[in-house]
Amino acid sequence: MKYLTFALAKGRLAKHTLQLLEQIGITCEEMKDDKTRKLIFTNEELGLKFFLSKATDVPTYVELGAADIGVVGKDTIIEEGRKLYEVLDLNLGKCRMCVAGPASAKKQLNNGSLIRVASKYPRIAKDYFYNYKHQTVEIIKLNGSVELAPVVGLSEVIVDIVETGSTLKENGLEVLEEICPLSARVVVNEVSMKMQHERITKLIHDLKQVVPE
Amino acid sequence: MKDMEWDSNGGELLHTPGGVKDTYGAECTNKLKVQSAVHEVLNSYGFRDIQTPAFEYFDIFSKERGTVASKEMFKFFDRGNNTLVLRPDMTPPIARCVAKYYRDEDLQIRLCYIADTFVNTGKYKGKLQQVTQAGAELFNDDSSDADAEMVALTVKCLLKSGLKEFQIEAGHAGFFNGLVKEAGFSEGDTSKLRNLIESKNFFGVEDLLDNLTVSTELKEIFLKMPEMFNNLDEAAEFVKARSKSKEVYKAIERLKKLENILKSYGFENYITVDLSMLSNYSYYTGVIFRAYTYGNGEAVATGGRYDGLVSQFGKDTPAIGLAIVIDQLMIALSRQKLLDEELLQGTLLLYPQSLRDEAIKKAEILRSQGEDIQLVRKSPAKPIEEYITYAKRMRIKKMLFLKSEDEMVIIESDN
Repeated sequence: MKYLTFALAKGRLAKHTLQLLEQIGITCEEMKDDKTRKLIFTNEELGLKFFLSKATDVPTYVELGAADIGVVGKDTIIEEGRKLYEVLDLNLGKCRMCVAGPASAKKQLNNGSLIRVASKYPRIAKDYFYNYKHQTVEIIKLNGSVELAPVVGLSEVIVDIVETGSTLKENGLEVLEEICPLSARVVVNEVSMKMQHERITKLIHDLKQVVPE
Repeated sequence: MKDMEWDSNGGELLHTPGGVKDTYGAECTNKLKVQSAVHEVLNSYGFRDIQTPAFEYFDIFSKERGTVASKEMFKFFDRGNNTLVLRPDMTPPIARCVAKYYRDEDLQIRLCYIADTFVNTGKYKGKLQQVTQAGAELFNDDSSDADAEMVALTVKCLLKSGLKEFQIEAGHAGFFNGLVKEAGFSEGDTSKLRNLIESKNFFGVEDLLDNLTVSTELKEIFLKMPEMFNNLDEAAEFVKARSKSKEVYKAIERLKKLENILKSYGFENYITVDLSMLSNYSYYTGVIFRAYTYGNGEAVATGGRYDGLVSQFGKDTPAIGLAIVIDQLMIALSRQKLLDEELLQGTLLLYPQSLRDEAIKKAEILRSQGEDIQLVRKSPAKPIEEYITYAKRMRIKKMLFLKSEDEMVIIESDN
């Protein structure tokens, strides 16, 4: 039997995904050891392999066929823009992609002025402003703590994920516009889907039964 | 710690740009072998070779001709300021040739090629920008026999390349097109729907259809698409109860015929039908197919019927084509360990200066018997062992040493 390889986005999402997989009888004991330095984990019995990677790399592993199946947030899928099959919404890690900033920035979003937008997601930001809002903006790519940008005057607004909005509030910012809802998705490599069709569709079908509402 | 500054010593001259690469040694030999095996198969089905220029006017590949996106083409200008592109795909140039050179022919035209295509994909994506393709195009035949022959030919080419496990997926462009026409979706919605179905994102499809005005029957068909695998009779029944589109029925009927004819070739086991299969090239109008195998993330062959393309060049001609993506195929063969990557080849004939005449004569005789002979004059300063290790290093299969006029020693390489 050929191995099926899973790429999971490191962190909370991986934990929740493993819990879901456990409910459908797929376990990986090796992975539960927090101290392990191993990078790849195997379940010989079921012919499965698992590895954790940075969320933004999951689509890359799956597109190029290094992993057959991946679990990753919709934000990463859109931002990376890779060719993948997106087969299941796991309803985990629900949040929204938003334009946020101080309340005073609101009118700049409506009068088409050239503003600066800081984001970890330059592609999503660009697509939203250029193709949906038709507003020319200057996009500044940051790698973290994006909320800081409008506070210190690096940009007028930000495009980022908002879960509860409490970080925004504490820094005097608010959601100005909502771009799209987000959640974790199961993605599958195009070729794996064909070559291991039965195994993968069974797995997706089983997972569907345990996905939280 | 030292800063990351290395003296390059002209080293920057050694690199190729991202996305292209050199091929040499066993890798190159293997690639040429596979290429010529595929080429022979194409010729044996009556396809005759054609070569077209590596670059052409941009318009040949523009949007209406539906090949790759304009952004993904390598573009430049000629002296008259016309936009030129490196061909991203071989089909439009060949369609152009048919309209030009076979204007009055109304029976079959069979053309094949081995050529490099160029796609300007993003950096650091792990994808090649120059890809060798071997392909065939069959014009002036709109029969289902032609569909089946091209699929069978794809199977044959892949088998001849040494590949053992692979699957060909077949669909029909008319299936989706017919449904969309019946539903009356706008161009924008159609392209959204196409993208969602292509990425098999059926919860996304459901969301989108919820927001569009569409009959529940048609919606059921769209949502059922991913499950319409392989049982065409069932699919036909399901669709007939819900759609009135002749184009959709015809698509299913055509796929049934394809399945049937492939039985005559004995290749029915290589084919699965997937009605949710769409093509990224919008010029396809009929049967479309793609071949997949283990070991790489992309299709190793693609093909389909494009009855409308040649007419854009001024000759109304049905056509169907296939392309084997040689570089993808090589990755698959290598990962599946189907290639001899430690390939030893050729013979080295070592001779002392005094025996030059004999050596040249011997080499010619051996060459005429089909051996590859590399002549090396032995330097008196170098011991023979040095040549033996050299032969090993260069992966030369056999070494001959001409000791005297009639004594030749064979030194077999043992690696």
